[in-house]
Amino acid sequence: MEFYTNALQNVLTLWPIAAMVGATLLGVFIGALPGLNPVMAIALLLPLTYSMDPLVALAMVAGIYNGSMYGGAIPAILLRIPGTPASIATTFDGYPMADKGEAGKALKIACWSSAMGGIASAIALMTVGPLLARVTLYFGPAEYFWIAIFGMASVGVMVGSDPIKGIMAAVLGLLIGTIGIDSLSGQARFTFGQTWLLGGLDLIVVLVGLYALPPVLQLAEKCDLKGLSAAQLKLTNVPFKPGELKGLLPTWLRASSIGIAVGILPGAGGNIAAFLSYNAAKKASEDPGSFGKGNPQGVAAAECGNNADNAASMIPALSLGIPGNVVAALVLSALTIHGLQPGPQLFHQNPVLVGGFMMEMLITSLLIFLLGGTVATRVFAQFQRLPGVLLVPSILILMCVGVYVINGRPVDLWVMLLAGIAGYFLEKVNVPLAPVILGMILGPMAEQSVRRALLISRGDATELLTRPLSATLAMATVLVIAWPLIKVIRDRNRKKREAGHR
Amino acid sequence: MERRQDIFLGLIFMGVGAAAAWMARSYSGEGGTYPMVLGILLALLGSAVAGKALRSGAYVDRQLIEAPTKMVTAAAACTVYIALVAPLGFYTSSFLLMLMLPAALGFRQWLYAVIVALVFTLVVFLVFSVLLEKPLPRETLLSLLSTGG
Repeated sequence: MEFYTNALQNVLTLWPIAAMVGATLLGVFIGALPGLNPVMAIALLLPLTYSMDPLVALAMVAGIYNGSMYGGAIPAILLRIPGTPASIATTFDGYPMADKGEAGKALKIACWSSAMGGIASAIALMTVGPLLARVTLYFGPAEYFWIAIFGMASVGVMVGSDPIKGIMAAVLGLLIGTIGIDSLSGQARFTFGQTWLLGGLDLIVVLVGLYALPPVLQLAEKCDLKGLSAAQLKLTNVPFKPGELKGLLPTWLRASSIGIAVGILPGAGGNIAAFLSYNAAKKASEDPGSFGKGNPQGVAAAECGNNADNAASMIPALSLGIPGNVVAALVLSALTIHGLQPGPQLFHQNPVLVGGFMMEMLITSLLIFLLGGTVATRVFAQFQRLPGVLLVPSILILMCVGVYVINGRPVDLWVMLLAGIAGYFLEKVNVPLAPVILGMILGPMAEQSVRRALLISRGDATELLTRPLSATLAMATVLVIAWPLIKVIRDRNRKKREAGHR
Repeated sequence: MERRQDIFLGLIFMGVGAAAAWMARSYSGEGGTYPMVLGILLALLGSAVAGKALRSGAYVDRQLIEAPTKMVTAAAACTVYIALVAPLGFYTSSFLLMLMLPAALGFRQWLYAVIVALVFTLVVFLVFSVLLEKPLPRETLLSLLSTGG
């Protein structure tokens, strides 16, 4: 309890509060603009947080993350255009509600459901996170190595449609992570005689390129020259029927549980949480036929589910140092920027910061109740009248200024451009980008851990597998990698059996 | 289409992995073993992707670029902008990008574009140079004006 009271005292000061309010509003705005997403926004924000207090920087990350997840519902409901991938399921019933003249009501349900999901998720983070961190006290270098490999393998396998491409992306990230001087031997690796490469490639530079440039290029391809008309953004207010809000409670409880479970799982994201919650609500409903035709339960389930994923995805990141998704990886990057070592030690060495961030996730979820209501929605929806073509240079400029201020080197801008163009094509050929970033973050941890473990065991590689914990983690890693193969074999056998029956 | 793309992708990754493993040979001790293993692994995974694509007979249409002209225009504008940031200065090149890129993409409301470019550049200046005091490349235009003055 002292852990959280100390953290709360630090969070409830002027700058973290101002950062949470400002970033939540900014997050709703970003989510409301199709083409912009929370990952891009946080990636653009991180370079600016170098000189900030870590709690203020993390308050901004929390605000943008929670705010944008709700903001994505605005165009999903008004225009059937999901503002973020996580709000695709919101379009199913949100748009039909708007079509029936119930846009205001749908937005209110989305706002409250997002807040409920976010609050439940933050409570899960605050209770499960510290417990999981205690387990890590028993970890040695071998366990850290396997934890890093397990995290990358599961994200590589689960993200994207082809597990081989996912693992390939993770290995590419690991290889990029080796660029620069090896911290243990002092050997310069893959530097091509360039002094600026001695420190390795800056994670944020690569991240901004990979995650912000491809959506900008896609926005340019769409070439929206007009924006939306005022008539398209007209909101109408229909009052709630008696007991209608109370009827959403079971949906919120179910969707929160699903979102939290999906969030803890590495590789799965808010969109999966939203789809699973939507399907569960439909199955549990007495009138499943009304789903897809403007059922408020559908909006509540999707929005509650995708926001319940947010804080829960930080559980493995903060307690084990393994980011389950890219936003969690960005949070770990934010910690690295401030000289903090992501991983299990964080809870023991910086309890105020970790506890503070958890509190900030909770407070920004509560802020959605206050800031994400109809008034804010009316304001943010108006930004969609801006032609998309004007957003293209604006984001490019923000990317460049953000990257330039990290080291003050023009060469970083070229690295960002190269990473961005590579990211654009990799996405097109179904190579997921998240494992590349995770590989870059976890690579150094994996390498140092395996080399330390071998140093301790005087070169005996069996040390990596003989401890019960490391052996369990190694087996889990093998299972994760082998799972797609097992699935293929099972599918083949089933098809053969079915063919035999015919 | 998809098959050819995957074969090409696999070959690229094979090449990158093989080159990395080859370069890592010259690194001393364990500092070289780790990247060499990764290079070999990347080459193997690349060959698996290419091999899988070669074995599959299906040609599924997967468009690599939706609107090639627009995409190339945006990428080229970004390249020129980055090249101009250091010699021209950050705000001058940003203002030019705000004006020229929408025009190159077909936006013809000039007054609207100029107002948005001016407001956006001003906001970026206020946030980055005034509020956050971040050092950005010096404006050549201002230097010339001050020299001339």
